[in-house]
Amino acid sequence: MLCTNFFRRNLAFVRLAVITNLEYRLNYFIDAVLQPLMTAGIEVVLWIALFQATQSQQFAGFSRESYLSYALWSGFMARVSSNWMYEFRMIFDIESGGINTILTRPMSFFEYYLSQFLGYKGITTVISFIFPTLLSFYLDLPCQLERFPLALLLIFYYLILLFIFSFIIANLAFKLTRVGSLTIAKNFILMILSGELFPLDMLPSQLKKFMLYLPFVNGTFAPTAFLIGRTDVNQISIGFVSITIGILCLAPLAIYSWKKGLTNYVGTGA
Amino acid sequence: MSGFVIQTENLCRTYKSYQKQEGLLNSVKGFFSRKYVEKRALLPTTISIEPGQIVGLVGANGAGKTTLLKLLSGLIVPSEGEALVLGFRPWERKYDFLRKISLLLGQKNQLWWDLTPNDSFQLLTKIYGLSTIPARRRVEELSHLLDCEHVLQTQLRRLSLGERMKMEIIGALLHEPEVLFLDEPTIGLDIVAQSKIRDFLRDYVHKKSPTVILTSHYMDDIAILAHRLLLIQKGTIVYDGSVNHFMETTDKEQVVSGKFQAPLSKNFLLPGNLELNAGKKEFHLKIMAENLSTFLPALIQVGPIDELKIEKVDFEDVMHQFLQAESSIR
Repeated sequence: MLCTNFFRRNLAFVRLAVITNLEYRLNYFIDAVLQPLMTAGIEVVLWIALFQATQSQQFAGFSRESYLSYALWSGFMARVSSNWMYEFRMIFDIESGGINTILTRPMSFFEYYLSQFLGYKGITTVISFIFPTLLSFYLDLPCQLERFPLALLLIFYYLILLFIFSFIIANLAFKLTRVGSLTIAKNFILMILSGELFPLDMLPSQLKKFMLYLPFVNGTFAPTAFLIGRTDVNQISIGFVSITIGILCLAPLAIYSWKKGLTNYVGTGA
Repeated sequence: MSGFVIQTENLCRTYKSYQKQEGLLNSVKGFFSRKYVEKRALLPTTISIEPGQIVGLVGANGAGKTTLLKLLSGLIVPSEGEALVLGFRPWERKYDFLRKISLLLGQKNQLWWDLTPNDSFQLLTKIYGLSTIPARRRVEELSHLLDCEHVLQTQLRRLSLGERMKMEIIGALLHEPEVLFLDEPTIGLDIVAQSKIRDFLRDYVHKKSPTVILTSHYMDDIAILAHRLLLIQKGTIVYDGSVNHFMETTDKEQVVSGKFQAPLSKNFLLPGNLELNAGKKEFHLKIMAENLSTFLPALIQVGPIDELKIEKVDFEDVMHQFLQAESSIR
């Protein structure tokens, strides 16, 4: 019974995310399609320019097509594996007292936002990944679509880690009130560590080796590189292990920050 | 603690806040070093509330009534003391406890801004683990009683304040809570909406007998709905008893108002040190009930009267005077 209630409730939160986001069509279209399309477009243009300017056939052992495919897919992967929107919402709820509604109902703040976050990412993935798939075929770029389910599974597992990270940052709002700048700083660091800004193949080999063991590469680099055939399933396995270690490390901190936060909470707005 | 739905023992809460002096220089100073002050919003409070009671919690802004409500609904953790609501420590927020209570905040939306009320109620049905068909029937029944079936399919953000509050009430009552915390349920509403909601709540508690803690700045809400009155002043309960008893124990004043046939030609001083000024026709005076017998003959002697009305001071005035008096003592 408890289990059934849990699933019914969380399914309802997933549904809530889909309904809410589809309500504002233009905003959703920009977020799920236009923004990653523009990011990917800019990166593709930059790589074309770079190859033309240097007259090279390869960089760090990979072809022009491989980089173009990376640029195209990484823009969309990075969009799916980011969490600034729900992080800001959690922070705002704590700052403004919106959390009161959640605290006085039989549900947890964590599950409420995690389910919504995953629901939103689910619908975004379905819609936004149509574009790089079609473009890959049209431009004849390397892409092994049979690898897509595993790449996606890795991203969604990474999203849980990312969410815990966001949850900890949001909990700081109980004490510090305004923590939005932390989200921005964190996003910038993740942009580099995940390989969103540039493929990690361009880094010195020792540094790249080290970074491939960090869980953050599973946001963009690992799934993209796997999908376009740059890496094999071994990197995906490392990814699952590093994310699991990351979750195990962050979970106690998340629990502690939540409990501490609630002790400080003053029930804002009520 | 048996026999009581709510029981607290020396329950108190202290807030810590940063004190900032005005000006740019102090802002820069405050960036490096801050001075924190502690404010005891609720002093040790011990109360017991029986099942089915409607308790009106009244006090000025900042008196501590919302803090008490937040503590009892589990929204905040106490600094000291103990409380049991339905046998649960509220701030532990056990799901079995949360399924039995409801907190309605008049100043804060609790339903989802972007959803229609129907979508919100469906979501609440899942959150509270209710069966779909009875829950739907309940929404129909409550919306019929509140006369708001026509807005169930409109996004919450597009509703008027009164309609929104009706939706919030349906959302708060959907799971038939045993304890209902109502914080300013009629705030900001026009008189018609206020009385509609008041009537609805009165009928609802009559039928379902939940225990209700109600705070309101509209004393009519308290006078009409509450069995018991808790007056709170500067974090302390200063009165705990029935509304009627409160009215009896406070000074029995009467209001005498009316109009003379012509403006007064000179000033008059009446028993009870009450003054009537020259040139005025209308009068509105407050007098102690026991002085009426000497006051009225003297008033008639002043001149021919056109209109005369004697009324009891209303609940709101008595409350106001009481809190003012308490405030000056403390």
